[in-house]
Amino acid sequence: MRLRTQLAMVAVAAAMLVASASAQVRNSAANPIALNAVLTQSLSVNLSGNAVNFNLVASSANNPGSTTVTATTSWVLNNIVSLVSLYAFFGSSTSALTDGAGDNIPSADFQLSDNGGAFTALTNTVAFGGANAGLNLFNTLVFGNNKGTHTDVMKFNINLSPLPNLPPGNYTGTLTIQAQAI
Amino acid sequence: MRFVVVMLALFVTSLVSAQAINSGAQPIALNATLGESLTLTLSAATVNFTLAAGSAANAGSTNITATTAWTLKPGRTALGVYAYFAAAATALIDGSGDSIPSSAFFISDNAGASTALTNTVAFGGANAGLQIATVPITAANRTSSRTDVMVYNINLTGGTLPQLPAGTYTGTLNIQAQATP
Repeated sequence: MRLRTQLAMVAVAAAMLVASASAQVRNSAANPIALNAVLTQSLSVNLSGNAVNFNLVASSANNPGSTTVTATTSWVLNNIVSLVSLYAFFGSSTSALTDGAGDNIPSADFQLSDNGGAFTALTNTVAFGGANAGLNLFNTLVFGNNKGTHTDVMKFNINLSPLPNLPPGNYTGTLTIQAQAI
Repeated sequence: MRFVVVMLALFVTSLVSAQAINSGAQPIALNATLGESLTLTLSAATVNFTLAAGSAANAGSTNITATTAWTLKPGRTALGVYAYFAAAATALIDGSGDSIPSSAFFISDNAGASTALTNTVAFGGANAGLQIATVPITAANRTSSRTDVMVYNINLTGGTLPQLPAGTYTGTLNIQAQATP
């Protein structure tokens, strides 16, 4: 009796082995999903304020602006190497500010101090604006898919010492801040 | 060194192949106001006279320099500096009815002739003033300044002044500038 039982168990085991040897795994076809992620290059400038007032004193070299303006330049670039630059400029060097009656304050008498640096007149020809009406605030070299920011705290001054005969009046103008990456 | 060369090559390659990307242009509105001004300051505010009865020469104790400074708007064509009393008859008084008229009070401006205050000017009483200076205003001097050194004298020879009683005579001479029109 005991032997018969053992023979039966051997037979069942053999049957399982045969069944296993003959079965195959079935796979579906591979279905690809193409993935395409685009991180667009971007370059932006944000300003902390967009108006500056000046109370002018005739012939005075020191006529500071009412407030500083902070420019925050942000970039996401995919060039291998890029040069990011920030510029301040006027549309025209001769009439940076005007009273509308033919009297002007030229860009040469408008000064900007960047991040505590020396006051510098806007007398250069830069990527934007009029000839001899700009100032390069910074240049920074970036590598690869680079993401970064740069902060520039700008102070302003109008030097009227070269303009002793500027008539009283209200002088308005637009200073533009713009960045470029190449 | 090799790294620098490689990076320089990459930079040049990148510049050649890349296009410039510009941010938006961010404007800052600028508003500058230059106000019109006209000021006159004096080097001193007191002059004393030691009078001699009937004398034509009673010089003031000191000269006074008037400094006039201006920043004028377009359209102004002239600037005047004036010296004047409030009343011609009573330029200086003793408080007892005795007076030294403005016609006996003389000013020499910038070493010019000594002239009595007998004109009617922009300020003060009739026949009680003197225009010290006249400055034409053009685009070339809208902002400028001038100085007038004034020397004073009281002439006690005219009219009844030789009989002026002894006493202390006080008065106020004003100096004022005006831009016109």
